[in-house]
Amino acid sequence: MLFLAVFGSLLPFKSWKFVYEDDLGVVPFSPGHILGTDNNGYDLLSSLIAGTRMSVFIAVTAVSLGGLIGSALGITAAFVRGKVDIVMSTLFNVGLAVPNLVLALALVSVLATNVDINQSVPTWRRVMVLIISLTIVLIPILGRIARGATLSWSGRDFVTAARSMGMRDRQIIMKHIVPNVLPALIAVAFLAIGVVIIAEASLSILGVGIPDGASWGGMIARGRNDLEYSPHVLYVPVIVLAITVISTNHLGDVIRSSLDSRESKV
Amino acid sequence: MNSLLSIKDLNVSFDTPRGMLEAVRNVDIEIAAGMSVGIVGESGSGKTVLSRAAMGLLQGSNVHRTGTVVFDGHELTAMTRPDVRSHFGTGMAMIFQDPMTALNPVRRIGAQISESLIFRLGMSKKDALKRSFELLQLVRIPDAKSVLRKFPYQLSGGMRQRVMIAIAISCNPKLLFADEPTTALDVTVQAQILQLLRELREDLGMAMILVTHDLGVVAGNTDYVAVMYAGQVVEFAPTTKLFADMRMPYTEALLESIPKIDHPVGKRLLAIAGRLPDPTDRGSGCSFAPRCKYFQNKCLEESPTLKTDPDGHLYRCFFPIGEAL
Amino acid sequence: MAGSGIAHMRNSTDVVLTVRDLVVEFRLSKDRVVKAVSGLSFDVIKGEVLAIVGESGCGKTTLGRAILQLPPPNSGEVIFEGTDLTQLPKDNLRSARTAIQMIFQDPISSLDPRMTVKQLIDEPLEIWQRGDEQERSVRINELLNNVGLDSELVLDRHAYEFSGGQCQRISIARALALDPRMLICDEPVSALDVSIQAQIINLLQDMHDRYGLSIIFISHDLAVVKAISNRVMVMYLGKICEVAPPEILYAKPAHHYTRALLNSVPIPDPTRQTRTELLQGEPPSPMNPPTGCRFRTRCAAASVLCTQQEPQLREVSPGQFVACHHPII
Repeated sequence: MLFLAVFGSLLPFKSWKFVYEDDLGVVPFSPGHILGTDNNGYDLLSSLIAGTRMSVFIAVTAVSLGGLIGSALGITAAFVRGKVDIVMSTLFNVGLAVPNLVLALALVSVLATNVDINQSVPTWRRVMVLIISLTIVLIPILGRIARGATLSWSGRDFVTAARSMGMRDRQIIMKHIVPNVLPALIAVAFLAIGVVIIAEASLSILGVGIPDGASWGGMIARGRNDLEYSPHVLYVPVIVLAITVISTNHLGDVIRSSLDSRESKV
Repeated sequence: MNSLLSIKDLNVSFDTPRGMLEAVRNVDIEIAAGMSVGIVGESGSGKTVLSRAAMGLLQGSNVHRTGTVVFDGHELTAMTRPDVRSHFGTGMAMIFQDPMTALNPVRRIGAQISESLIFRLGMSKKDALKRSFELLQLVRIPDAKSVLRKFPYQLSGGMRQRVMIAIAISCNPKLLFADEPTTALDVTVQAQILQLLRELREDLGMAMILVTHDLGVVAGNTDYVAVMYAGQVVEFAPTTKLFADMRMPYTEALLESIPKIDHPVGKRLLAIAGRLPDPTDRGSGCSFAPRCKYFQNKCLEESPTLKTDPDGHLYRCFFPIGEAL
Repeated sequence: MAGSGIAHMRNSTDVVLTVRDLVVEFRLSKDRVVKAVSGLSFDVIKGEVLAIVGESGCGKTTLGRAILQLPPPNSGEVIFEGTDLTQLPKDNLRSARTAIQMIFQDPISSLDPRMTVKQLIDEPLEIWQRGDEQERSVRINELLNNVGLDSELVLDRHAYEFSGGQCQRISIARALALDPRMLICDEPVSALDVSIQAQIINLLQDMHDRYGLSIIFISHDLAVVKAISNRVMVMYLGKICEVAPPEILYAKPAHHYTRALLNSVPIPDPTRQTRTELLQGEPPSPMNPPTGCRFRTRCAAASVLCTQQEPQLREVSPGQFVACHHPII
């Protein structure tokens, strides 16, 4: 999947924008179109590939940003404790209480939609707003994980030992806390990628995702209408979506257990 | 001897990522009714696995077990788990090192004790609660009435251990397994609990297997002692005889190395050099040889078998202490 | 039991650590305060091994950490080599701390699982820039050899690959890296196997002899303490009961709690099982300690005076100080 996302635009597949008028609604494995086309003539495979790029880009960016900010906040809060921790935890809890799709919807409609609905908004603006809203949702989630992990690691004797050696707090966080908290964060981050991809798809189905259907959600949205006549238009992106999410989860698990197994005794 | 518990040639190994872990090797133990046996060993000696195996509590696809365990005439090793469980409570009972994990944190004490009585002895709820109250008094918990209504987290370590003992003796078991019951407790509380166990045993006529790493604990609380090292029983004798007339160099070295209350101040301890053996790599020869101050070449090449003295003292050594070389 | 009784303090120039009226309390909620250490004082002479003995809840571990200001005590003074650590600003405290190092109970959790042994021991050296990489490397090997580990075999391995005893050796090597003058050992052998304990105790003794360290040895195990200490301080519920050299304390304890402790220790000799009167009941909660003498609720010799007045430490025989209204004579 990743491979496709990165190199998609370089591959010699048929342009996804081009409308193949002669081959409307053709089923998969037809000559010339491996996965078929949808009713508007867009080649599904190419659409998929382009969609991959978009979906993955959004997901990875949102998770990375959310992860960096969230864990920075969470780790600091847990390490410093006291008032900072109380304030941060409250913020996290409030953030978690806000339903993410609603938030994304609100943000997109406010920031990335023109008053005149006939005019469409530049794609990149939509993308940015989407990423921002997803990041905002992710910050408390990842922040809480980071905070919890930090709390448990800071209680360990080796942190006290580091303090007694005269290490500065900042050094302790960078050298001792972060490397130990990372495995848990990475595992959750991979899970989050899967979830974000789905979230983005849901937003597209709702109509606030990427316009022009240049993402899986968009494809699914369009496919909904064609369900009766050409179900493959819907099935293809859905199956691909499912496989991607499963594989990112699996990847996350694998990475986490390999990082952890270094640590486990006997 | 009319055995209550008879373990013959028990071997237990586990499949682990690091190889086959031989936890228990060729263990034979016989316990008669009313007898109390201490099993002494350090980590890796196999004492915990042995007690779990003897209770029929070992499970899992990575467990390999050979040998037999016969309790009160029933061969546990040949039974299915539900059948083995039917012996718990009335036949044998167990108390563990950490009462916090053995007690259910979300149920009140009274309910937990009664549960066993209702399930095993078929008592009514009312009778069971009354009996629970009596049991708490038997284990000397002050203010038993209010304790019945408390949750485990509201009690101290010593109190929780008493509750666990109450549950264990509630159905009058014939045999009590005590797996490091006082290791996590303060020394004054430990003394109280050990005294309690002694008195209960006398009153109820229970046999007891006391698993511990502390030679001091076995000295005052057992009739017989089995010393384990590297998965094998290396010495077995009546307690008084074991301390008076040690045969195994390991036992001697262990006794010499532990700090004692009557040790002269300023005198250096006699530590045993080396480390405990790796259970995944047993090797040939006597497991203690690398650390033994009497060792000879034969010890590295051949594995000693368990020998019996005419007076019933068992030991596993080619050159036991006291024997002219 | 003594509050701040200071009869046992020594006024000599050899005193390297003086703790005065130390109070450490933890506030759990508005009315629940754990009074872990309640105004005690003691001192340590250069090169002395002071053992602090008591059961769980007596405050000995909190005391050990409070000396290092981790966390800082609520009140009181901790004067180490002339400087009051409680008054030091953050940066000065950081450098002052290097003279006092700590060894912990759990050997494995006191070492960062992600670091190799080399990194673990290099850490303190690097923080304080004790030499360039080459020099530090030499020092690391030296430290490891001193604690009985073969540096070639252990340098690149991680903590979880070692046994408890070896991890404790690594901790000791790390603690000695900065040439401390004092070691605080918090139950250093309690988590180790019986046959290994003696090795580590002997190692600590050797390090003490070689480097002239002053040691505070915290333990609940009276037998272990006897083997290594010059002076023993018995604590109960945040206060001191008795202070005496081990020869006297173990032979003729003056405090009822000390005697009860000694009677409770299991003796590995079946012919010498003394079934004396055992201490009944449980220690009261440190949130609500008894008035007057804190031990009175479990003491057979308690009188009305014991409920009213907190006993102060006083000398009952040369070198032996006890805080009790009715000490055992």
